[in-house]
Order: sequence, then structure tokens, then C-alpha cells
Amino acid sequence: MINESKETFRVAVVGLGKMGLLHASILNVIENVEVVGLCEKSSIIRRLVKKLLKDVKIVDDVVELVDLDLDAIFVTTPIPTHFIIGKTIYTENIAPNFFVEKTLAANYSQAQELCELAGRSKGVNMVGYMKRFSVTFNKAKEVLSQKLIGELSSFKAYAYSSDFAEIDKNSKVSGSRGGVLMDLGSHVADLALWYFGNLEVKMANLLSITNSGSEDEAKVDVVSNGGVEGSFDISWCKRAYRMPEFGFRIVGRVGELTVNDDEVELKRGGKTTKWYRHDLNDHVGFLVGGPEYFREDENFIKSVLTNQHVNCDFCEASKVDSFLERIKTKAE
Amino acid sequence: MAKKKSMKFLVGDNPFHGISHLTQERSRKRTASVGQSEYAAGLVTTALENGAEGFMFSVSETTLSILKEIRKTRKYENLELYAIVPYAYEYVRLATKVGGIPGLAKHMTAQVLRSMNLRAIGNGIKGVITMDPQAFMRTYVLHEISRIRSAAGNNTNLVSVILHEIITEMALAFDLDWFFKSYIEFLQKRGVKPGFETRNFALLVNKFREWDIDFGEVSITSAFNKIGFQMNPSKADCEEALKKVNGADIIAMSILASGYLKPPEAIDYIKTLPNVTGIVVGVSKERHAKETFRLLHDRIEASKQVVSDL
Repeated sequence: MINESKETFRVAVVGLGKMGLLHASILNVIENVEVVGLCEKSSIIRRLVKKLLKDVKIVDDVVELVDLDLDAIFVTTPIPTHFIIGKTIYTENIAPNFFVEKTLAANYSQAQELCELAGRSKGVNMVGYMKRFSVTFNKAKEVLSQKLIGELSSFKAYAYSSDFAEIDKNSKVSGSRGGVLMDLGSHVADLALWYFGNLEVKMANLLSITNSGSEDEAKVDVVSNGGVEGSFDISWCKRAYRMPEFGFRIVGRVGELTVNDDEVELKRGGKTTKWYRHDLNDHVGFLVGGPEYFREDENFIKSVLTNQHVNCDFCEASKVDSFLERIKTKAE
Repeated sequence: MAKKKSMKFLVGDNPFHGISHLTQERSRKRTASVGQSEYAAGLVTTALENGAEGFMFSVSETTLSILKEIRKTRKYENLELYAIVPYAYEYVRLATKVGGIPGLAKHMTAQVLRSMNLRAIGNGIKGVITMDPQAFMRTYVLHEISRIRSAAGNNTNLVSVILHEIITEMALAFDLDWFFKSYIEFLQKRGVKPGFETRNFALLVNKFREWDIDFGEVSITSAFNKIGFQMNPSKADCEEALKKVNGADIIAMSILASGYLKPPEAIDYIKTLPNVTGIVVGVSKERHAKETFRLLHDRIEASKQVVSDL
């Protein structure tokens, strides 16, 4: 989908929060990729960035990016805005190739509509489930694909952070991030769907801790189409989780596999094998934030240039939106 | 054969912030005691008594409390300080609490005003009026220096103020050569060595050469270890880049690859690298503080002796 006669791959980033700055930096380092446009609602940030990046067009409305002859656009705004921005990108032909930070949309119906729009476009589309690009979670996927622990029987998944562990009671700040399910939970939900296929929700409990209307913890029981029983424990109010942490303990007929962001441990036939990130070639062309982000952006750009499938596209990612919606319905 | 430039041994602060790049579980287990400023200050002073010459730390409430504890002992008034700013994690957490980047900007403004640091306030006002990033940078750095001096004492030996990797990497990504040059000039005028922390050492070296930045004027802190952990884009590229930085202060961090390597093998690898002038190692136990710095001293000094005898 890129115009091959052009020398550079032209990209714009929408939203200049932490994730927007991260993606913009990585993209600008990838060979032949150039960030030519930025879109941000905050006038203070726009004014400051204009002084920093004099050759980049900075706008406050995504429609104003239309004349930049973009090859791709990255959307890193809050989840509730993904749908309207995505719809505008497709209907106004702002860029042929479209990356959006997880989750695809705020609900499954919006996600489906974005999938339909993406289906009509000939471009590449991708949702940023960066844990798929972690060396440890990839190693676990490889172990499962090779059936090294045999037929699977159960799993326990967790996603913890301390983001709101020390927040004042009745504070509304957690609301600005949506709920824990979409924020932290979506990563571990995506990995579970990637590992085990479709999951039916048997029980779901959503808990409020920071204020009466907040969604701060989730406990969910599921079963896969293949009969694998699973549970999720998700919280952003756990103490001592300096960085968000995700993990699985997966039990098979002939072994057990545990995986988190740092290590993978395989127990099989009385033998234990452990791999740290250090053992799994965690180098990248440019490291900022975490190696996963570089691999994710590189995967998207390569997929556009070689017309190959991305990991993971809108339709696959929409399964997470569907799963999270079923959890919420079950919890009601 | 020329003598090697003398090697500095610095004690680092990662364990005091609950950071372990090996596993987060490991850091959770040790945070309870090592996060207490009295205990952490004890570890720093033990390291100093066993061969460490300075303290490298991210400027945060935790490390400022440690500096206050060390100051109380009145034994280390010339302690060499290498300060990393900003402590990105603290600001990300703060942004979560105060409502994103706009909330953070308001919070920082209030802090600078409360500090009554007139030079910082003046630069800040100029920054707000003109939206000048260099004025904001100067305001911020002056504010952090004033926090350090307030904790460690006005006569403290602040050797280097090092830009945190997140800022260094982003400025590298967008080819902001003027930003690096402005930072270097600003700190040099204050008698402090400008420093940069990076996990993309080869890229930084290539860019600095392209921009004619004098390596003799700066310190660079980056990961160097036997297994190439966090050496990007590869161990070989970083080793090759090291050969091009004669005259710079190069401080090797992550030499133990976060505990993956044993100290003797880690040190033996570092000894083979050209142009490394310092090593920073974090410690979380009294025994580590003694053994690690004694070992560093013995193994590195022994090799220097061999070199000078040749």
C-alpha cells in the first residue's frame, strides 16, 4: 500500500501522551520512515511540540492531516475516541494504513463497525497488543504450539499494577483511564485468546475500590472451546507492582508452563527449564519504553511494505472487545 | 603503552527504587527493607568504605532522603554525586494522579514557585511566555539541582547531571542536536558535567559524531555486559562504538545484567572494553556492598597495574 516511488514512508501520530511520544520516536528512527504529522487536542502541548519539531505539521483535528499524503497513521488517544477517529480516518481517506493502540474500540459494536470499514479499505490495519511482541510470551506461545506440556487442562492468568494502589478514596482519576478490564485486562485477555482460542465466560465479578462507580478489579472464570478451564485476576490496586505485570500458569496433561514479562518456566518429565528475557535475544534496533514497542511498530511497517499479515489486525483484535463485553454483561 | 584513565566505581540506586531488570518478583521481595532511607544510606556508605567513590541516583523523594541520611553522618562531605533527571517513573505515576501531562505541568509549576529558586522561576516565566523548550529545560534542571543541594548540602560535589534515557532516546529519535548542545552548554556554565543515559549507545555515538559534539565534554552512561543485555542494536555494535569515544567519561551500567551474571565474570568482561572510565553497580545487601566493590577494586586495579607495567 505504500507508494514505492516515494523515498520515505510518511506517518502521522494522533495523541501526544506517553504512548504517542513513544511511537513517534520509534517510527522516526526506523529506516526510511518519517513522522510528518502530529495531532493533539491540548494547545499547550501543541505549542511546545511545534517549537521542538519544526519540520512536523502539528494540528488539533485529524481531518487536517488529509493533505499530508500519509502512508500510515497511528492513533494513541484514549479508548473512547478510537471509534470516531477511526471512522474519520477511513471515510476521509486520511491514510491507507492504520495502527491503533489497544483496545480497538470502547465496545464490540464499534469494533465491528471499524472492522467493516477496514475490510473495505485495501490497507493494513493493526491494534497494538504489544505483549505479543514480548520475547517471553512468544516463547510460551512456541512451547504451547509444540504441545510440550501435552493437552491443556487449565490456566490462571493475572494482570496487576499499583497505578491506583495509593490513590485517595473517592478519587475520580481512575475513571479517566476507563476501567481496569479494558486498560490492564485487555492485554491478558488478548494473550489468552491468542493461546487458547475462543473463551466462554462462566463467572465474572467486577469490584470498585477507588470510588463507588469505578472498575478497579476483575475476577473472571472461563472455559475454552477445547474444554480448558481458566481464571483471570486483574487489579490496578495491588501494592508493590512498580510496573504493570502480566502472567499465566498453564497446566497440561504432561507438564506445566509459567510465563510473565520476565521469565518462562517449563516443568516437564521431572525437569525444569527456565528462560529469562536475557536468554531470548531481546535486542531491538532502537530501545525506548520496552523492546516490544519497537518490534510491534516494525511488524506494522514491514507488513505494509511487503503486504503481509500483521499481528494482530482489527478483526482478530475485535475478539478482545467481544470477550470484555461478555465479561461485563456476565458481571451485571 | 599508555596508562588507562583511572576507573571510577559508583554505587547505584536501582534496588532502592524496587527496580530489578531480572524479575519484578525479585524486586518486590527486597523492596521492604531496601526502600527505607536509613538502610539504603547504610548500604551506600558501606560501598563507599569498600571502594566506591560516588553515588549515581535518579532524583526522587527516596534518593533525596538517602542523601539527607548520608549528610547526617558528616563523613562524606565530598561524596561525588551523579544525578539522573528526570526520574521518569515518578513523573508518570504523578501524571496518573494529577490528570495527565497538563496536570503534571501545573504541579511542576507550583513546585518551582514554592522552591523560591529565582533563577528557575525566571527561566520558567520565559518558557511559558515564549513556549521555549530550552527555557523549560533550564528551569527544570535548576529546580532539580536545587533539590539535590537542599538535601545533600550546598557544598556537595555534584559531578554530573545526567539526562534520563527516556529524554535522551526521544531527542536522538528526532535529531534534536540543538537540544543536546544547549543542555551541554547550560551545565558546563555551572561547572557540572553534562551527562546522558542511553540504551542505544551505538546510535548516540554516531549522532554525536555527526553533530560534532566533543566527547571530552560529556559523560555517557549505558549498559555494557558480557551477554549484551540491553545493548542495542547489538553487543557488537556497542563494542564497536566504544572504540570511537576516546576522551569521554563512559560509565558502564548493568554490568551484572541485573544479577544474571556473577561479579567475577562480569568484571572480567568490562576489563576488556576500551574507553570505559566508570562502573555503576546497585547493591541491596550489606554483604553485596562490601564484596562487590572490593572485588571491583581488586580485579580492575590489578589489571591496571599489569597495563602500566607493560
